[in-house]
Amino acid sequence: MSSNSIKIFSGNSHIELARLVAKRIGNELSRVTVLKYSNQETSVNIGESVRDEDVFVIQSGCGQINDNIMELLIMINACKTASARRVTAVIPCFPYARQDKKDKSRAPISAKLIANILTVAGADHVITIDLHASQIQGFFNVPVDNLYCEPAMLSYIKINIPDWKNSIIVSPDAGGAKRATSIADRLNLDFALIHKERKKANEVSRMVLVGDVIGKIAILVDDMADTCGTLKMAAETLIDNGAIKVYAIVAHGILSGNAIDVINDSYLEKLVVTNTVPHDDKKHICSKLDTIDISSTLAEAIRRNHNGESVSLLFHDADDPE
Amino acid sequence: MHNIVLFGGSSHPDLAEKIASRLGLPLGRVTLSKFSNKETNVEIRESVREQDVYIIQSGCGHVNDNFMELLIMISACKIASAAKVTAVIPCFPYARQPDAPFKKDGTPLSRLPRSAFRGYSSDTPYGSASVTPNLEIKDPLDKMEDASSNYAVIRSVGGYKQWIARSGTLIANLLMCAGADHIMTMDLHDPQFQGFFDIPVDNLFGQPLMIKCIKQTIPNWEDAVIVSPDAGGAKRATAIAERLRMEFALIHKERRSQNKPHKTDLILVGDVKDKICILIDDIADTSFTITKAAKILHENGAQKIYAIITHAILSGDAIQRIQESNIDQIFVSDSVPQNEHLAQCSKVCVFNVAPLFAEAIRRTHNGESVSALFEVMD
Repeated sequence: MSSNSIKIFSGNSHIELARLVAKRIGNELSRVTVLKYSNQETSVNIGESVRDEDVFVIQSGCGQINDNIMELLIMINACKTASARRVTAVIPCFPYARQDKKDKSRAPISAKLIANILTVAGADHVITIDLHASQIQGFFNVPVDNLYCEPAMLSYIKINIPDWKNSIIVSPDAGGAKRATSIADRLNLDFALIHKERKKANEVSRMVLVGDVIGKIAILVDDMADTCGTLKMAAETLIDNGAIKVYAIVAHGILSGNAIDVINDSYLEKLVVTNTVPHDDKKHICSKLDTIDISSTLAEAIRRNHNGESVSLLFHDADDPE
Repeated sequence: MHNIVLFGGSSHPDLAEKIASRLGLPLGRVTLSKFSNKETNVEIRESVREQDVYIIQSGCGHVNDNFMELLIMISACKIASAAKVTAVIPCFPYARQPDAPFKKDGTPLSRLPRSAFRGYSSDTPYGSASVTPNLEIKDPLDKMEDASSNYAVIRSVGGYKQWIARSGTLIANLLMCAGADHIMTMDLHDPQFQGFFDIPVDNLFGQPLMIKCIKQTIPNWEDAVIVSPDAGGAKRATAIAERLRMEFALIHKERRSQNKPHKTDLILVGDVKDKICILIDDIADTSFTITKAAKILHENGAQKIYAIITHAILSGDAIQRIQESNIDQIFVSDSVPQNEHLAQCSKVCVFNVAPLFAEAIRRTHNGESVSALFEVMD
């Protein structure tokens, strides 16, 4: 008699998110101890039986990334060799996603390597959020659910930005244009783009605004905020070109190095990130930081995967407050 | 030598330099760094197209970082059309089950102490509160008066027995998946490890180097006794004893009673009175095994105690333990960087493995037999 229930394990990268997801599903986090031996090797001790169960391992690609990746691999492998029915890797922020192409000689395609090693470790399924390039799904031979933050972002804009109908969606670089236009279309708003123009090879590039933002609230939309240099320059350009206020909404708030100082220094009114990457400690020193809770999206995806229901609804609009 | 490139990873750049200079080659140019979000960045600065590439990275220091760096380097070379990529890993990571934490007097803890949780556990005796990395942690070396309040216990659920994941096969699969065509390592803790791979693995022996060490540096070695610090290493130690026609002794962990399995006694099997003892082991990590063994030998009348260790990881305060122990001198290989250990402990003496690996690389590249490396070179 098999139970085939949902078992959710979490690594050390983002325990808080894992707890929120488990609570949303109505479970507790399953018992596991993940720590390091004195020689720095990772040790994983699974605390309950996973035989014939539907296992979900939640680990985000943030913090000490290589350590967290090894933890994830060892946990997946441990559950697989313990006869779990299916092991799904839930990776809210996919690691090495920016190393996804060979753009110089001998550059490694680390995202492909990560895809390979996840499969080799035994992952049968991968759930992630807002992949840097959705083509990364093609690196895998197993099904990948690339969930979108877009519905949550739309919801946030409608609820938290007063006078959002007078705003304009702006992409801080040419690469993110598609993402920004999608949101602009959904909200029936105008769209603008910031483009880096290089005059000469050694000259500092300047940012050019393509579109009109005079008298409007500008909402910058991007997938990652890492060092935040781009966001700061974009905000400056927008204010210089007549925008009243500048908000930034980003899926993954990595915020490494002195990103918080850069944000505090900038013209940004607010920087809104989802909780795919933990950043509670940064909120104390940055009042501009706000969070979108993405745990419900993940929890729904997990539940629907387990019950064999369609996940398509998660790609449509969130509830319309109007 | 033509069509060969050597790269050194960040774990042991010293050893890579020595191997390269032994081969008369410059080390390949590669820039290893980390992005601001801690992702590893590998930039290979010379062509590897159709070359025989050797990447030298040891499983020491920050093991996970170095291992990911190795995987990314292998993958980068492979997709840059290298003819063959060999991973040279002197100290192989995740090769064995490391020591469970110990109390100050050396007896093993039957339960994991809170300070061992540099990670987290989802189960504590206190209901909902989980041990997070920021939680204030009590010193586990405090007296265990109220054991339950000092330690987070992983309780079994429904008769389930805890088990710790063994990562050996996973590591082998990851290396093959990244694109390694060949592995070179030394003194694998578990020789059966070679079977986890589908690609050739050269498990070089440190034994000839150890024998050379004994003959050259230990006076009156013919009358000494080879001692194995535990039952698992007996085969390794007897191989040397037979080679040198020396006597042999063994230290054995005997469990007192069935009811108290954590109370163990160390027993010496063999005679060491007034003799020079040479302890042989492959790995010294926390150094509890080797220092406890030295204590027993001393109590049983040994005159002088030497130790020869292949992989001296010596993490935490292991080096202080060795300095304070009954060991007179400890010989270690440089499969793991030893500069810090040399500075902190006067008893440490290093023997080089660079010549061994350089020879193995030369012979593999030229298609010659490597068997000669398993013989003793007089």
